Amino acid sequence: MPSHHINMRTLYIDHHGWLNAWLRSRLGNAADAADLAQDTFVRLLNRHELLELKAPRAFLRTVARGIVIDHWRREELERAYLEAIAHQPCHETPSPESRELVFELLESIAKMLDGLKPKVRQAFLLAQCEGMPYKQIAEQMGVSLRSVERYIADALYHCYLLRYAP
Amino acid sequence: MSRASAQAHEGQPSAQIVKQAIQWSMRLNSQGYNPRLHQQCEQWRTEHADHECAWQRIQTLNGELNSRFKTLPDSGAALEALENSAQCLGRRQALKLLSGLMIVGSSTWVTREVMPWQQWRADYATQVGQRSRYQLPDGTALQLNTDSAVDHDFNAEHRLITLNRGEILVACGADPQSTARRPLLVQSRHGLFEGINGRFVVRQYQDHTRLSVLEGQSIIRSPAASPISVSAGQHYRVTAQQAVRLPALNMDAGAWAEGLIVTRDMRLKDFLTEVGSYRHGHLGCADDIADLRLSGVFRLEDTDKLLTVVTQTLPVRLQYRTRWWVSLQRQA
Repeated sequence: MPSHHINMRTLYIDHHGWLNAWLRSRLGNAADAADLAQDTFVRLLNRHELLELKAPRAFLRTVARGIVIDHWRREELERAYLEAIAHQPCHETPSPESRELVFELLESIAKMLDGLKPKVRQAFLLAQCEGMPYKQIAEQMGVSLRSVERYIADALYHCYLLRYAP
Repeated sequence: MSRASAQAHEGQPSAQIVKQAIQWSMRLNSQGYNPRLHQQCEQWRTEHADHECAWQRIQTLNGELNSRFKTLPDSGAALEALENSAQCLGRRQALKLLSGLMIVGSSTWVTREVMPWQQWRADYATQVGQRSRYQLPDGTALQLNTDSAVDHDFNAEHRLITLNRGEILVACGADPQSTARRPLLVQSRHGLFEGINGRFVVRQYQDHTRLSVLEGQSIIRSPAASPISVSAGQHYRVTAQQAVRLPALNMDAGAWAEGLIVTRDMRLKDFLTEVGSYRHGHLGCADDIADLRLSGVFRLEDTDKLLTVVTQTLPVRLQYRTRWWVSLQRQA
């Protein structure tokens, strides 16, 4: 779609500097801001629907916000995971490659669980990560078995929609 | 199923039907084998094409979720990291980006041979790398390979073993106590098998089940319209639709029960997949050596040692990045 690309180019020329500054003000870090501004345009290029350009800056902000959240999610996950394995007795420091692999997996799971209520999320993670029976989850969380079943069903429905919604 | 093929379905099952399918799947997974419940679920599935569609999707989803979580090397640390980081992220978002816009990223899905939520309800189960042997009351000996789980339900009419995950070797017992002849049945996700006598192996994969008869005779009861009799040395690939006879395998189907992997002219990559099922983490090889062939007898008790033996047989070397990331490379 040539018109799509022309739009992208104008969008980039007109607003790249502005977006960069906006991100810098959010992140407080010029290098990260430059990276994420780039990511924002890359994400737009990969979108197949036509761009809504009546209010380009509002639109760019929306996309960039998602990218900032992804960036923070990744940072928090990396920090929390390294902290978690550091607490373990006789842990080995994983190599950068295998760490990267684990981070990617964790990130995909965290994204998938985005938007779940904390209790739903907790019940679902206990079932999936720990393979814990519902009854035990109920005891650990201090809620009824019925509630746990409802939480798990909610989480599954959420995942179903992500996976199959048109 | 890819996103595109999922969308190729004409209609989407309604939210209500999807939720019903979730209920069925949770109920079946959290209770032991319950023929009545299975039957009711079957009945529900056949009531409408949308029911079946929703059911299949939930099964696929469960498998995918499970394989994704299982790939994590350390589930405790993962759980902690996911919970902890979600809280911190929530705080950060609340502080800096109060705009109420929820963006959900797309994710990559991986499929492997796993069925969800079955480890704890199984009567017998093994962990990755574990093998175990049980003597059942009728004289049947049951062996579980790595990462496997079964339930068993013996009553006046039948002796039923349900394979929930992995691979089992069954040595048929004579059942001397019972007066009626109780069939010895193994139910997998894809078919129903009856052991007449001798020993047989049932291995459940994501999309099919393999039956290998080592001695004596077994019968494939379903999904085939008429039963198929299988004798020693024969292998069948069974899906929910059909049973197909396989040519000879390049790996001895029952050797694991003696703690061995026995291969004849097997691709290195396939061999490593087998060995990998006894270990946590990643075990792979460079593309340029994937097709090297391997014949031999390898001991399973120490897979690190086993891999060292491989390096003495083939022109390859081991690269340990961590204890859970091992890769074979071409010998320089």
